Amino acid sequence: MTTLANGGRTKSSGGLKVGRPSFLWSLPAITYFALFALVPLGVVAWLSFNSWDAIGSPKWVGTANWSAMFSDPIFIKSFKVTAILTTLGIVVQTPISMLLGVWAAGNQRNRAVLSVLYFIPLLLSAAAISVVWGQLLNPYFGFPHELHWLFGSALFNHGYLFSSPSTAIGVLTFVGMWQWTPFHTLIYQGGARGIPEVLYQAASIDGAGRIRQFFSITLPQLRNTMITSLVLMLVGGLTTFDSILILTQGQPGTSTTTTSYYMYEKAFQSFQFGEASVIGVVLAVVTVLISLIIVRASGWDKMRSTQEGV
Amino acid sequence: MLSSNKCSRRGAVAAAATIAVAAVAAVGASASSAQTHAHASSSRPANEINILMYGDAQNSVEKYEIATYNKTPEGKKVKAVLTTIPGANYQTKLQTIMSTSSAPDIFFNWGGGSIEQFQKAGLLLPLNSMMKADPKLKSSFLPSILNAAKIGANYYGVPMRGTQPVVLFYNKKVLSEDGVSVPKTWAELLSDVKTLKSKGVAVPIALGGGDQWPSLMWYEYLYDRVAGPSLVTDGLAGHKSVWGSAASKQALGDIKTLVNAGAFGPSKSWDSIKFTAGTTAQMLVGGISAFELMGSWDYSTIQSQGSTATGTNPANGPGATFVKDGDLGYSAFPSVSGGKGNGADLAGNTENYYSVLAKTRYPQAVADFLKIMYSPTMVKDELAIGNLTTTTNTPKLISGPTAPYLKWQYNLVHIAPAFQLSWDQAYPQTDTNALHTAVAVYFDNLNASAFISSMEKLTPAS
Repeated sequence: MTTLANGGRTKSSGGLKVGRPSFLWSLPAITYFALFALVPLGVVAWLSFNSWDAIGSPKWVGTANWSAMFSDPIFIKSFKVTAILTTLGIVVQTPISMLLGVWAAGNQRNRAVLSVLYFIPLLLSAAAISVVWGQLLNPYFGFPHELHWLFGSALFNHGYLFSSPSTAIGVLTFVGMWQWTPFHTLIYQGGARGIPEVLYQAASIDGAGRIRQFFSITLPQLRNTMITSLVLMLVGGLTTFDSILILTQGQPGTSTTTTSYYMYEKAFQSFQFGEASVIGVVLAVVTVLISLIIVRASGWDKMRSTQEGV
Repeated sequence: MLSSNKCSRRGAVAAAATIAVAAVAAVGASASSAQTHAHASSSRPANEINILMYGDAQNSVEKYEIATYNKTPEGKKVKAVLTTIPGANYQTKLQTIMSTSSAPDIFFNWGGGSIEQFQKAGLLLPLNSMMKADPKLKSSFLPSILNAAKIGANYYGVPMRGTQPVVLFYNKKVLSEDGVSVPKTWAELLSDVKTLKSKGVAVPIALGGGDQWPSLMWYEYLYDRVAGPSLVTDGLAGHKSVWGSAASKQALGDIKTLVNAGAFGPSKSWDSIKFTAGTTAQMLVGGISAFELMGSWDYSTIQSQGSTATGTNPANGPGATFVKDGDLGYSAFPSVSGGKGNGADLAGNTENYYSVLAKTRYPQAVADFLKIMYSPTMVKDELAIGNLTTTTNTPKLISGPTAPYLKWQYNLVHIAPAFQLSWDQAYPQTDTNALHTAVAVYFDNLNASAFISSMEKLTPAS
């Protein structure tokens, strides 16, 4: 089989614009993207060299904000916190979503009803979920009090879940998982549905059991789905804000202050928009870099199908 | 074929870049020029004055004010509209909205540092001319309270709620059951805590550490009692060395003793509960705690604990019963023997004020609305929910079930030699976050040198 050329057109070598619209068609999308993504990014980059408190006009200060932020221990620590939260989110959500998604893609009897019930968290408002869990986890009046036999151990910090950095991070990871695994389950369900039945039939003829089929057929076929889900989880983890705002406010101390939450604190609580803009620019650059690395490392941009040879 | 592909892609990228650069240039140019002069027009509807208010359990009185004004002849021409912001976000929203065209005509604030930046940016209307046109607007209020919203020679605020000293609330039933007396000295407080813990009271003092600012009240009082009021006023004036002084370290040591005695529960447990979520009120009413050091507004918070009443209906629920049965006690903060501060000194919010936007479209309507602030009916309504107004006619109008509480509070304020404004209102808003973090971190880690260096980094005199 010949590999496909750049752009994917194999048949005609003449006919420059056959089957491909001119770039003018993309102009509305480009304008929208430029206006609502590139322009704000440019303004924020400019604002990072100014000092502004939302009253009056910005004052040029050169690189003062940049040097102040890079010598700020909370800013440096926020990257570590973000990395921990994102990694935990991925490690916890991926196996659960994958297994549930593959199960939901099958045709067991009660699958449809149970799937609908399981998707309900996805329909709820993110802020409402955080508010409710915040109340449910109150140490004197919520689950830790009622289920003392479970929450009383040192593992749960004796029920004071928001008082120690590790349990606070655990709460954020749990609430994130509760809210977002339905979404990723949906993605894996779509991916699993697309796996050709013939592969499974061939495998069972050769005597492969269910577990062997899962590891040898399902997982490799879900490669592109996994990368999609991974990128979404990464970007989501890097920008998580609402649950931190409602549940922990970056506390105890600064142990759940992620980079995006610190940006909010700097801008809207301390009214230091110049320094907050520095964080914004760094966050945007880091996110783009990570996305690029993931896409390159996984070969996603080469658009290799998992069904070559089928 | 390949080259035309590249051409169209290059074209798309070039188009995006051009649009972006042009737009950034346009925005940048307009930003630097337009910001220097104020927006001429308001984007709000005509014949309306907008009042921005801190949202909490006491808004029933503010709603009454609006209704009263709207019934007056001026009110029928220019309507007053109330907007409430949930308390935790109030300052943020106010700061964001003040220099836009949706800025409110009148807004709630705490005087002091909370309005300083607005005044510096020329956003506030000096009220001297309003006071000349209506002399009662000045003469009806206690002078010391009006002065807390005075910057230079101009008045910028009209008192509108009540003075809110921080006092020690307690559950009378828990104290009498466990044979503990109301502490008048620091030593008594420590021994009370010990007795309560031995009798099984898990959390003798309820502290909403999750909000961070309730912890600040302990610092405000201990610093005053140990070092006298001058330490903090010097610190606010920019003398950073006061935070490392011996008196400061002694106050920090007293906090450490109380924390280590388990007064607030197990270490760091207070970070998991909040005042703003109603948890500490629930703990006090339910007997899980015996004490709570909180501003005088806690009376109405405790009264409405667990209440399902809506609108202006009186509170029902466990909190209302708790107060009606006379189980809620209140006392001044204990004195500290050997300390430089007077045991009658107070800390807290000196008052809340209404300030006026300089560019308000209807100054006459605003002046008429502000007249309500000293009307006897409004004073009586505020007194009924436990707010001690600072009008000169207040002592005559105190009546009803909250009368003992208010008379006691009035006396406290009247005789107090010094009244320290809450630190997070006295410092400019840019320092609030750092201050709250320093306060909370010391409670958790009890590292005095870290606290001192955090306080030294604050920038009060800006």
